[in-house]
Amino acid sequence: MPELYLGVATFLLLNIMVGLIRILRGPTPPDRMLTAQLFGTTGVAILLLLASALSLPALTDVALVLALLGAVATVAFVLRAWHKPDLDGEEE
Amino acid sequence: MLSLFFDAVLALALPLLAWRVLTTRDLYRAVILFIAFGLLVALSWARLDAPDIALAEAAIGAGLTGALFLNTVGGLVGRKRSPSRESDESREVAERREAIQSSPGEPVDEVMRPWWVRLALTVPILALGLALGWAVVSFPEPAIDLAQQASDNLEASGVDHGVTAVLLNFRSYDTLLEIGVLLLAVVAVWSLDLGRVRGGQAALSKGLPVLHGLVRLLTPIMIIVGGYLLWAGAKQPGGAFQAGAVLGALGVLLVLSGLVRPPLSDGSGLRIGLAVGFAVFLGIGTAVMLATGELLNYPPASTYGLIIIIELFLTVSIALTLAALFVTAPPRKEQGSKEHSEEKGEES
Repeated sequence: MPELYLGVATFLLLNIMVGLIRILRGPTPPDRMLTAQLFGTTGVAILLLLASALSLPALTDVALVLALLGAVATVAFVLRAWHKPDLDGEEE
Repeated sequence: MLSLFFDAVLALALPLLAWRVLTTRDLYRAVILFIAFGLLVALSWARLDAPDIALAEAAIGAGLTGALFLNTVGGLVGRKRSPSRESDESREVAERREAIQSSPGEPVDEVMRPWWVRLALTVPILALGLALGWAVVSFPEPAIDLAQQASDNLEASGVDHGVTAVLLNFRSYDTLLEIGVLLLAVVAVWSLDLGRVRGGQAALSKGLPVLHGLVRLLTPIMIIVGGYLLWAGAKQPGGAFQAGAVLGALGVLLVLSGLVRPPLSDGSGLRIGLAVGFAVFLGIGTAVMLATGELLNYPPASTYGLIIIIELFLTVSIALTLAALFVTAPPRKEQGSKEHSEEKGEES
């Protein structure tokens, strides 16, 4: 069973690698931000699988913290960083 | 075999990402790459059997630092619009800027360095890198096995988790100074007089029901998880820093969504909260001198209680520090100099 968990974790890590293309290519900032959000979710899954595969229950806490804090960066992006043209009005 | 492949993918991705973070001129892209980098670093610590560091990296690297950087980039976008530089270089810069940008309005690192500057920088950096690499490779066997010593004396520390024992007992002096550094960071940011960010009110007026639903859902969970991490620190990965990071993130969310007034307007209460961790740590550290004669050398009978008290106050201060750093980050362009001066008045 640990082998299966590790295999799935590796598959998810490869998924992250493929997602890197979207971060590097964009084209718009929201594309990149959403990919980072997807990485967070995938990271939670990988950590939970590793916790079972390596029998390291402490990694479950890491996954919990990552799941809780993953949304903070996205909220900051939407409200502070990204100047959506029709929301701010005066963008060029 | 599979685990080796997993590690190999991680080990290849980390330097690649680090290189892209440092060389990307588009600041959004750099920040988002940095968030992804933090996530992979957290996974690496998990693979290295270091769940304590993975926890800290997940909370601070992948979560809070990304939000702080995004906030800063948002502030920079506003400033960039003013036509500040009319030098001969500006035309060339503008052309290259256009070539770099993938879409208009994205903030870009505009400092262009000529090739000879880059070459001159490369040589000493390469030398430093080689020297550091050589130092790591030729590292001598340590005379004292500190990890072994720490786990041998774990019983005397008052807690059952090695990392907490080192942080708050064996090397508590280092931790005390770190808390001092956190306090200094807030003082330094405040002394820059950047003005306050009012995104929260704007978010409230724009009406974002999804955001408010999310914050209302997350608030109780984050409070419970923060308390759990603080409590768990005595016997498993966790502790004041991780708990403070979770509660600090909650503070950031509350400020961002406008559910808590952005400036945390009660100045003196905020100041007391920021300083109380350092004050209590230092107070207990010196008070135990009466009993044991040494700074931060807790009397054996009350070690556990003292560590928990210190950690409790540290959590409050760390959480407030992180939230305060966010609130006083660079303002956006709407907040010009006139608002700036009026804020100076109410600050005092």
